Amino acid sequence: MTTTIAERDVALVDLVDRLLGGGVVIAGDITLAVADVDLVYVQLRALISSVATAQEKQLLPRMGSAL
Amino acid sequence: MIELYAITDNPCPALPDLAPLTIVPVNGLAAVCMPAGEEDFSADAFWRHEEVVEALMADRDVLPVRYGTRLDDESAVARAVKERRDELAAALDHVRGAVELSVRAMPTETRRAGPPAAEVSSGAEYLRLRTGADASRDHAARALHEPLSGLARASVEGRPRPQELFRAAYLVERDAVESFAAAVARLQKANTGLSILCTGPWPPYSFAER
Repeated sequence: MTTTIAERDVALVDLVDRLLGGGVVIAGDITLAVADVDLVYVQLRALISSVATAQEKQLLPRMGSAL
Repeated sequence: MIELYAITDNPCPALPDLAPLTIVPVNGLAAVCMPAGEEDFSADAFWRHEEVVEALMADRDVLPVRYGTRLDDESAVARAVKERRDELAAALDHVRGAVELSVRAMPTETRRAGPPAAEVSSGAEYLRLRTGADASRDHAARALHEPLSGLARASVEGRPRPQELFRAAYLVERDAVESFAAAVARLQKANTGLSILCTGPWPPYSFAER
């Protein structure tokens, strides 16, 4: 059974955490206000099982299942 | 408006051609930018952004910028970077030669947070059991974090989300990624009650601000 979709979903969670909560903050407009971050998570939760076109993130082997 | 993706050294290798990127040079640093499109917080937009930063990371050190950072034009970018030039150069040095790996652990069977109510005879008993459960979670988290942080240049623990027992990011030398993955595999073997998820290599988002 392939786990591609599941792995992409797993990686999306990690990606969103990093994009919205990480990275250096440089003066300028950050388009996403802190208060809106939760809203993005809510939208993504609905979306997370249907990200068919999302780029597949390279994953380290799924530990346990792959070894 | 233009959007910032990352800060790199300057001079730097030719920019990847997967997007109309430009650089704004500032005294030994380069801000990698692109004309801003419409605001977009979809999964596709996140992956497109990530693709650019990863393409940069493939052949240079990057200090990733917070998603959605927009400025009026190139001269505004130059001013903003110049203002914090030394701080940004130090932050880039901190992540130089390294990538970020994400580790999350979840219990394989979802148990109830506490014992069934019928077994708890008093509030004090409940608290005692809860404290015991917290201590064993802490212990399990330590058993993962200690060996992994020993393999990393830096690490940062996050607050676990519901259903997670542990969440952390590690800044790992590029040539140590495989041995880190092997260590995660050993921990997974030794902890059958946990599902350990390791993703990456990511640009060092979690280590960009100090």
